[in-house]
Amino acid sequence: MAEPAAQTAFAEEAMTHLDTLYRGALRLTHDPDQAQDLVQEAYLRALRYQHSYQAGTNMKAWLFAIMRNLFWDRFKGSRKEDVSLDDLGEFVLFEKLRDEGARPEADVLDKIAASEVVSAVDKLPPLHREVVLLVDVEGFSYKDAADTLGVPIGTVMSRLHRARQQLQKSLYDYAVESGIVRPGGMKQVPQT
Amino acid sequence: MRCEECSDKLDRYVDRELNDTEALQVQLHLEGCPDCMDHYEFEAHLKRLVKHSCDCDTAPKAFREKLRQILS
Repeated sequence: MAEPAAQTAFAEEAMTHLDTLYRGALRLTHDPDQAQDLVQEAYLRALRYQHSYQAGTNMKAWLFAIMRNLFWDRFKGSRKEDVSLDDLGEFVLFEKLRDEGARPEADVLDKIAASEVVSAVDKLPPLHREVVLLVDVEGFSYKDAADTLGVPIGTVMSRLHRARQQLQKSLYDYAVESGIVRPGGMKQVPQT
Repeated sequence: MRCEECSDKLDRYVDRELNDTEALQVQLHLEGCPDCMDHYEFEAHLKRLVKHSCDCDTAPKAFREKLRQILS
């Protein structure tokens, strides 16, 4: 067991990453209570195994790895089955919007509510969702994401690519359904 | 650099994952190609949208305090 002072310092540093862990747990479980349970257990486990953490390395990535491993153990029975995403071909939202005359294309993004983006992220299979959470939301490098997930960098890149395509397709579908864009003619709703 | 190559590297450019030489090549292409620059700005905008949409959740204050007590 670590000395009390060292344990206190470790706990204090770990607490600075609480929001990252909670956000990740919330997006993985979709349930605030389960997210809190998951994060609490992750912190207790981190405290128990703090001797295996190398000071000066990336504590946020280390803690996230503990949390997501607990998630898979608890909710998925460690079965990290690679849920396949629909084969979208090469769906590139920018090109899709350009083809339909939505100019400037970025104006469409400004009309999409944050809640719809969260919903699109939540619809991703967990193996793809967690890569988006690490790289796009928390700003992890591919290498740190790979270390956190225990996969090669190439796997991070391929999952991220597929996830972003699915995400862009979901946002496009939402934009069409809500009338932000109208396929086949242009098409953007007037500025609100 | 051709537009196809720029497009292939755009994700890694947005993610700041290219090495210095590759990043400079992409940057130079973008500065001379309005279409690719529009695409880059769109992808960067989308990445910011995902981040800002998802990072507004923070741990509830009561949970933070409970955890702090457990860890002390």
